[in-house]
Amino acid sequence: MTKHKTEKPTIGIVLSTVPRYSETFFRNKIKGLQDNGFRVILFVDYLEPEDANFACKVVASNAFNKNTFKRIWCSFLALLKSLFMHPKRSSVLYTLNKKDGISFKENMIQVILNQFFLKEEVDWLHFGFGMLAVKRENVAAAMCAKMAVSFRGYDLYLSPLKHPGCYNMLFTKDIQYHVLSQEMKQELFRYKIPSNKIQVITPAIDIPFFTANTTLEKKNRLELVTVARLHWKKGLVYTLEALALLKQSGIAFHYTIIGAGSEKERLVFAAYQLGVLEEVTFTGKLVQNEVKKQLEQATIYLQYSIQEGFCNAVIEAQALGLLCVVSNAEGLAENVLDGKTGWVVPKRNPVLLANKIEAIVKLSEAEKQKISKNAISRVHKEFGLIKQQEAFVRFYSEN
Amino acid sequence: MKDQLKIAVYSGDIPSTTFIERLILGLSNTGNSIYLFGFIKKKVKYQDSVSVFGYRNTRLHKALHYLKYSFLLFCFKHKEKRKLDAILKKQSKNLLLTKVKCYPVLWHKPDVFHVQWAKGLADWTWVQEFGMKLVLSLRGAHINYSPIADKKLAAMYSAYFPQVDGFHAVSNAIGLEAVKYGAFQEKIHVVYSGLPCIEEKKTAAKQKDVFQIISVGRAHWKKGYTYALDACNILKAQGFKFHYTIVGGTKDIEFAYQIHDLHLEKEVRLIDNLPYAKVQGLMQHADLLLLPSVEEGIANVVLEAMQNTTLVLTTNCGGMDEVITDGVNGFMVPIRDSEAIATKILEIEAIPETAKEEIRKKALHTIKTKHREDQMVDQMLALYQSIYHDKA
Repeated sequence: MTKHKTEKPTIGIVLSTVPRYSETFFRNKIKGLQDNGFRVILFVDYLEPEDANFACKVVASNAFNKNTFKRIWCSFLALLKSLFMHPKRSSVLYTLNKKDGISFKENMIQVILNQFFLKEEVDWLHFGFGMLAVKRENVAAAMCAKMAVSFRGYDLYLSPLKHPGCYNMLFTKDIQYHVLSQEMKQELFRYKIPSNKIQVITPAIDIPFFTANTTLEKKNRLELVTVARLHWKKGLVYTLEALALLKQSGIAFHYTIIGAGSEKERLVFAAYQLGVLEEVTFTGKLVQNEVKKQLEQATIYLQYSIQEGFCNAVIEAQALGLLCVVSNAEGLAENVLDGKTGWVVPKRNPVLLANKIEAIVKLSEAEKQKISKNAISRVHKEFGLIKQQEAFVRFYSEN
Repeated sequence: MKDQLKIAVYSGDIPSTTFIERLILGLSNTGNSIYLFGFIKKKVKYQDSVSVFGYRNTRLHKALHYLKYSFLLFCFKHKEKRKLDAILKKQSKNLLLTKVKCYPVLWHKPDVFHVQWAKGLADWTWVQEFGMKLVLSLRGAHINYSPIADKKLAAMYSAYFPQVDGFHAVSNAIGLEAVKYGAFQEKIHVVYSGLPCIEEKKTAAKQKDVFQIISVGRAHWKKGYTYALDACNILKAQGFKFHYTIVGGTKDIEFAYQIHDLHLEKEVRLIDNLPYAKVQGLMQHADLLLLPSVEEGIANVVLEAMQNTTLVLTTNCGGMDEVITDGVNGFMVPIRDSEAIATKILEIEAIPETAKEEIRKKALHTIKTKHREDQMVDQMLALYQSIYHDKA
């Protein structure tokens, strides 16, 4: 990046809401960019009162999240702004949309809803999730900014099934894409996105925090753990089925699931029917310190997901020296290297998962130590925040 | 002795689900008075013996409803109103809405108040304080899994089940589940779902080249469609030619992704909910109705398939083994077992047509002897009468 519209290169990041305290990825990314001399503006759909002191400027469109009368009033104000405050940008947005074949009514709606972007000066407009860029395909061009889109998993693999053709327009635009894994890059190839437009930047973790406390003693029985929200894509029913097989083989264990979600009833009932409810603890959502404590007491970390972009929790578990068994869902096979830093098991196959856990239990201490050390070492080398920040700096500077 | 009773069938919604509406229709032809209370979702034309005392979901309608019954109770049943107010005050979180629901019941005071969904039981135990008999239906998820995942709910059941005057269990299996929460065995009456008699049809000609499988039911995890789809994956890998339709399975991203992930787009179709007649038509043209559920009371869709002389493969969940005997009038596999589903489908396909016809006939016989609507209505009336006369 050689010439900037503003004093400092400015990155506009588009999210649904201001990242909560636990959403470390975006918080770390914003801090990293600021530390490297970038100015960051966060564009969000909704703003909560507690977001007032966020670390960067926040621009919200939540004026539209009101009752009918207020929505009409806000739409009217937005229309006035588009006519008198940024007529040129509004006109460009309208023209580009029209060129894309968008109907007059839909075009006007988009001009009004996206008005809050147009007053800001940014060098890059970076949409944090694919679906956030839908119906905003021409906003960056109207702002004379470069456009970037991150895909994180659900938005690349599931959203197109839920909303067929949702990215048809997006994928025709000049965009730099950020994805979390090589597998996701391959997925974008299927949409005919050229390789030079896609950069893989894996998630990263706070390594000093996720360093094992060696004074803590492991429990005697086999302790298994997963950190995941209770959602079908996490493959927890398959995991419970594998554990039922493990129990039938006479292996004593305890399994802790850390996370909350709408599928708790489904999972508790599955554990009950499979005869492993006594062996399973659902802790609900825990704060990071508590998560770390739970992980430190476990031996094997399971992430037998059906769909997964990359999964920070698996990196954290590896950093703490846990033996990680993951499915081959999308980015997981890059997160854990099969047989080197953990084990990768084909998804939707509880028998294979149970066999793998049984085999790990039977490994010698030296073999387990070797895998654990490899994992820790790879996390330190590949998944640190500094490396990720540098990658993002290059992402914006070299494109 | 009182032969004609005032029976309230309460599900909260008017109209209710298909099977509850079927019960209301059946009871309305017996000379008893049927009362419906609750929230009117849409206007329904019932028989004269059915009285609807519901409210629409608008503030104005609820306010008028409340004022009307407050006035009537205040003027003519003042003591009872005070007594009910005191009870409600103790238990309620939203007192005004609770009164909107409860005042009409106190005013009309049916002989029997039949609660259809167990989770709402705590809201209605007060009816016993005013001489009404309380009947509770034991249906599906409310008994089979919700109290396992929700300890508070289990505690509520344990507190109130011993007080209920009579239980209507949709299967023996669900009755036994209720006993775990303190329901008295002698108060549990098993009344199976019944279907209206239809003209006997000849078995529809089935396609020969591709084996047609159908499932019907809402897109909910308890329906076990993920196991069915994994079974489809096994069948496809074995080169078996089939087509699987899930009616009611659209808009579920979990199923859509599984189909995509397993490359089953050509073999599996998710379609939206369809009108009853269309579903029956699809069922008749299928070679097999598959019920891959992990939990059911007794699935009505299985009864309908049997009536339509479509072969049935069900998992052994809830009360399904009270309807299906494996290899006799249908087929049965263990729950949560995709391999077993796939293997059984291959076995079924290989059965000679004459043997299949025999199974279909036996299935139809099961419906005619155990699942007729008139039987269901008679048994429900017998339940109400026995409870009422126990009081008398």
